[in-house]
Amino acid sequence: MIRKEAVTIIGKSVGKNPIVSANGFMSRDLFETNDKESNFYMIGSMGLASSIGLGIALKNPKKQVFVFDGDGNILMNLGSLVTIGSLKPKNLVHIVFDNNSHESTGGQPTNSSQINLAKIAKTANYKIFVIQTKTKLISILKDIKKSQGPIFLLIKISTSKERSKRVSWNPKTIRDRVMKSL
Amino acid sequence: MNEQQQRKVYHYLKNKKIENFVGVPDSTLKYFIDECLKNDNILITTREEEAIGIAAGMSLSKSNSLVFMQNAGFANSISTITSLIQLYEIPLIFLIGWRGYLSDDAPEHLKIGKIQPELLKIIGLKSQILTEKNWKVKCDWALNQLKEKKPCALVIRRMFHD
Repeated sequence: MIRKEAVTIIGKSVGKNPIVSANGFMSRDLFETNDKESNFYMIGSMGLASSIGLGIALKNPKKQVFVFDGDGNILMNLGSLVTIGSLKPKNLVHIVFDNNSHESTGGQPTNSSQINLAKIAKTANYKIFVIQTKTKLISILKDIKKSQGPIFLLIKISTSKERSKRVSWNPKTIRDRVMKSL
Repeated sequence: MNEQQQRKVYHYLKNKKIENFVGVPDSTLKYFIDECLKNDNILITTREEEAIGIAAGMSLSKSNSLVFMQNAGFANSISTITSLIQLYEIPLIFLIGWRGYLSDDAPEHLKIGKIQPELLKIIGLKSQILTEKNWKVKCDWALNQLKEKKPCALVIRRMFHD
């Protein structure tokens, strides 16, 4: 499974719920496959998607809030797992698309394959799911609709030459759309 | 800034609809932070950038936020401030404790402390210094910036040694 396929499947399942997507190809894939008002496309501030998502989750307890993170991104802000794990927001679904690489900057390796990210998240009070296939992804997405978070989905994806277009909304428009939707 | 005034700043901002106080502790701001703790209205994060991200999410949810930090943490956060807060124009108040204001402060603070006003100026983040005399006026200034959806900073100088 490549990231864009996983993003397409999850985007459909999320419905109108807010998504905060990490910078780089992650946001581009989401924009191309499932653009909507409640998507916060983080185009800079690498590492912070889960923190922004936490802020939104804490203030919108009735909405399930999704974070589309990358392995490079979460490794930059592992402290976020500590803060999320200590606050235990029931409505936060933290998804890490793990291709063991900084794909957006040319495919350089990360160290995500050298350690166990899911175990780290589990120790930090998340409910964890590790996903390798589309079938499993689809079935877990059904399950988590009723589950209490914080939920951590680690989706193993392969790298790909497929490139989505850049996010064409300007940042202030992204802000206004998200604020209107919340 | 003395203990009593710092505690008052918390209540003043709280009464003016600043709902979230997120950040990393700093000794210059300790009475302000203690007042947040006493009122059980604080979120202490692992790093300043994380605090900025969380507060940004809260502000996007139309719940006003203040991020507190030492100026060392502000220096860490410059890219986050420029590529998230200023880029999207997310309204936030930064409250920054200024170490290295005194030229005989601890050595690790001197270099950043010396250029603190220039750092704020160079990234174009509007700021005001809070003192015991002017704090109400400066807090009102910051609240007005927020109304115009502009991020801004309030700075408290470290005037003592410990």
